[in-house]
This record gives sequence, structure tokens and C-alpha cells, in this order.
Amino acid sequence: MELFTPDFGLVFWMFVAFAVLLFVLYKWGWPVIVKTIDSRADLIDKGVEYAQNAKEQLDKAREQSEAYLAEARNQQADMLREAERIKTKIIDDARSAAQVEARKVMDAAKQSIEQERKEAQQQFRNEVSNFALDIASKVVRNQLQNPESQSKLVNSLLDEMETNN
Amino acid sequence: MIKKLTSLLLILIVSMSVAVPAYASEHQQSDNKELSPKDIIFEHLGDAYGWEVPFNHHVRIPLPVILFGKGGMHCFLSSRVQDGKVYHDGEYSFKIAAKGEPHQGKVVQIMPDGSIYKPFDISITKNVLALFIAALLVIWTVAAVSKWYKRHEYKAPRKVVGMLEALMEFIYKGVIRPTLGDKSLKFAPFLLTVFFLILYLNLLGLMVVFPGGANVTGNIAVTLVLAIFTFLATNIFGTKHYWKEILWPDVPLWLKFPLPIMPMIEIFGIFTKPAALTVRLFANMLGGHMIVIVLTLLIFIFAAMGPAVTGATTVFSVLFSIFMLLIDVLVSFIQAYVFTMLSTLFISFGQESGHEHHEPKQESAAAQPATK
Repeated sequence: MELFTPDFGLVFWMFVAFAVLLFVLYKWGWPVIVKTIDSRADLIDKGVEYAQNAKEQLDKAREQSEAYLAEARNQQADMLREAERIKTKIIDDARSAAQVEARKVMDAAKQSIEQERKEAQQQFRNEVSNFALDIASKVVRNQLQNPESQSKLVNSLLDEMETNN
Repeated sequence: MIKKLTSLLLILIVSMSVAVPAYASEHQQSDNKELSPKDIIFEHLGDAYGWEVPFNHHVRIPLPVILFGKGGMHCFLSSRVQDGKVYHDGEYSFKIAAKGEPHQGKVVQIMPDGSIYKPFDISITKNVLALFIAALLVIWTVAAVSKWYKRHEYKAPRKVVGMLEALMEFIYKGVIRPTLGDKSLKFAPFLLTVFFLILYLNLLGLMVVFPGGANVTGNIAVTLVLAIFTFLATNIFGTKHYWKEILWPDVPLWLKFPLPIMPMIEIFGIFTKPAALTVRLFANMLGGHMIVIVLTLLIFIFAAMGPAVTGATTVFSVLFSIFMLLIDVLVSFIQAYVFTMLSTLFISFGQESGHEHHEPKQESAAAQPATK
């Protein structure tokens, strides 16, 4: 059967053609492609790895930022509380200081008022006594214009002295 | 759209069922010769000195005939010896041996004394030219893809280049890399060349007109040479461990000492592997071509039995041969893939380093990214 016996000419040309083809492609063709396929696969692998790392880092960063935020919130609350405390303290201090001061002022005022009152009393008393003496002297002068009444007074005074003793 | 296509197909089939039998019967009458299916089949499956053109049985594209016979080298165009013509070159004459003569279908030298001598024939025949065309296509393919890579680096190629690149990646990543591992850079050029050459030859063979139609991969000479290259790649680059496994395999002593039974089987195995490669590709492609030709020839065989039978046969044959051609497209790819895969496997046998405990490690390392 001619189909099953290899023809020499075709074997020869097949050998030559394939050898040349293989040589050409081995030298200038396939290595570029194969290396590119390999390096691209590496690149993709690396890219995936990088993306995973980046995601992990992002997650970590998010966690960290949340932690920072929580801490900051705590600090803020602390600070607010502290401020509140200081505020009330200052107010209290101011109030008590004011009270003390006020009391002092009041006391001083009271004292001065008392002083004034006393002085006024004294003055008033002096004036009243002067008035009284004036009036009395006038009255006495009027009453004692006649000798009878003079003696009567002397008598009465003497009676008084007697009864007092 | 589908309706239109079906109606178009129907019209085609009906017109064929009328026209082809008419042509066939007319042709038979005009030629007035007995139809010989066997000759036609073998003519289409075999090699030829010219390349036929469609719709004409006499005009052929002439190809150079190169002979080393008595009187040195002889070069002439195949048209000089076509159709039983005799070519005279000085005192020597040449003709294609007719049917029934020795060296049937080959160019032979007629000596001055009338005896016939078979010269050393390295003509550029139809198959050789088809092979060259396919080789150029392979070179163009590789050049196109590597040019893209040089220009665009990691950008994914588009259109035709993208398709070719997908094929390359399919073979390289799917077959070569997992089997050969670190050694793949060394053997990938050979295996990828084999794959693309076989694929292009197969697909060109399915095209009916020039530059297709040559049954190259269905020719045992071609598959034999391809298998020899695999054989050489396996055995020349074979490791010490590979040869030890062949000559002194790891079996009980009685199997190899007084009578080297196992080594003999192993050595036999070295040669059966490329033989299997040869025959598998050859038989598959030859079978595909043969079925399509036989289905087409049925029309002409039944042409003698009247128009009704011929019409029915035509519809049946055409539909079946279209179906077979579509299957052959699939087979073309599968056979190229299988040849490459088996070559890779055989080469990897020659690359075994004997450190068996390394392999699972590599495998697990390779499997890890996949499971991720």
C-alpha cells in the first residue's frame, strides 16, 4: 500500500522544513512569547498578592483609625468632664469669695451704720436735752415769777428729797 | 435569520440534487470511462506533482520536480510530465509511471535503452508546498504575537493575535508548564511549533482549494518525521535516571538478571511511543479525509441508478460530508492537541530526575495558588 510507505522526498522536505522552522522559532520566536507569558503570569500573581496585602493593610489601617477615633472620643469626654469640673470649681470659689467679700462689706456697713446711729442718737439726745433744758428753763422761769409758786416748788422738791431718802 | 439560512440551505440542496447528478452523468458519458472510486480516493489522499484547481480536471498548478538520477540533477516543472507526457532532458527522458507500472504515480527516468530507473526524488510536490505554506503561517503567527508583546508588553492582544495568543497560552499553560515544570522553557519552542504546524496543516487540509486540500498530516512520512523529532528530544535530553529506569528498572532481580525481560520491554517501549504518535495522527487525518471523499463519491457511484436515487444520495451525501467536515475541524484541533500532549508526556519521561520526594512538594506548591 503506497499510503503506508513513507515517501523519501516528503520525509526529506519535512525534515528540512521542520528543522529550519524549529531553528528559526527556537532562536527568535518562542522564547519571547513564552517568557512574556510566564512573566505576565508572575505579574498577575504579584498583582493579586499586592492587592491582598493592600486590602489587609487597609483593613488594619481602618481598625487603627477606629481605635484612634475611639481614644480621641474618650479623651474629648475626659476633657469635657474636666472642664466642667474646673468650671464648677471656679464658680464655687468665686461664689464663696464673693460671699466673704460681701459679708465683709456688710459688716463694715453695719458697723458704720451702727456708728452713725450712735452718733446720731448722741447728737439727738444732746439736742433733746438742750431743748428740754431750754423748755424747762422757760417753763421754770414762767412759773417762778411769783414768790408763792417759788416756795411751793422748793417745798415740793424738798418733799421729794425726803421721800427719796 | 435562521429561517433565511434554512431556506437558503434547502434551495442549495434541491439545486444540487438536480444539478450534480446531471453533471455526474454527463461527465461520465463524456469521459466514457469506468468510474474507479479507489483511484479517485487514493489520488486525493496521496501526494501529487501538481496542485489541482477547482472546476477543472486538466489544469494543474505546476510545481518543480527535482530529481537526482543518472546524469546528475534534473529540474523541470511538473506540467512537462503531466497527463502521461514525456519530458526529454538531453539523452534522458522522464515520465510519471502509469497505473500498473512499477513506481506507480512517481516520476521515473527512462534510460536510452528503454529500461526504467527510479531516481532520487526530492520534488516540491503538493504536500511539500502545503508544508512550506503551513510553516510560513506558523512563522507569521509567532512573529505577530511576539511583535505584539514587544510593542505592548503586558497588554492583552485583540482579534486574531488575541486568538493565537489564547491558543499558545492554552498549550503552554495547560499542557507544557504543568507537565515539564522548570524544564518547560527548554522544550516549549519545539512543542508549540509542533502544535501549530499540525493544526495549520490539518485545517489547510480541510480547505478544498489552493492553498488547502493537501492531505499532509494524513501522510505517514510527515507524522513519522514529527514523531522522530519527539523521539530525539526524549532520548537525547534523557536524564541518567531515565536511562537507568530503562536498562535497570526497579523490579525483582529475576525479571532483569539472567534474561533481561524488563529492559527489553522498556527498550521496545522507546520505539513504540513514537510509532504510536505517528500512526495516531496519520490514521485520524487520513480517516477524516477518506470519509468526506467517499461520501462525495457516493453521488457519482449512484449516478448510474437514475435521477431519483442520485438526488436522494446527493442530499444525504452533502449533508453528511458537511457534518463530517465540521467534525474534522474539531478533530484537527484535537489531534494537534493530542500529539503535543503526548510529546510533552514522552519528553517529561526523559526528564525524570529520580528525586521522587521532590515532586509532591512541587505539586503542592503549584496547587496552592489554585486553591487560594
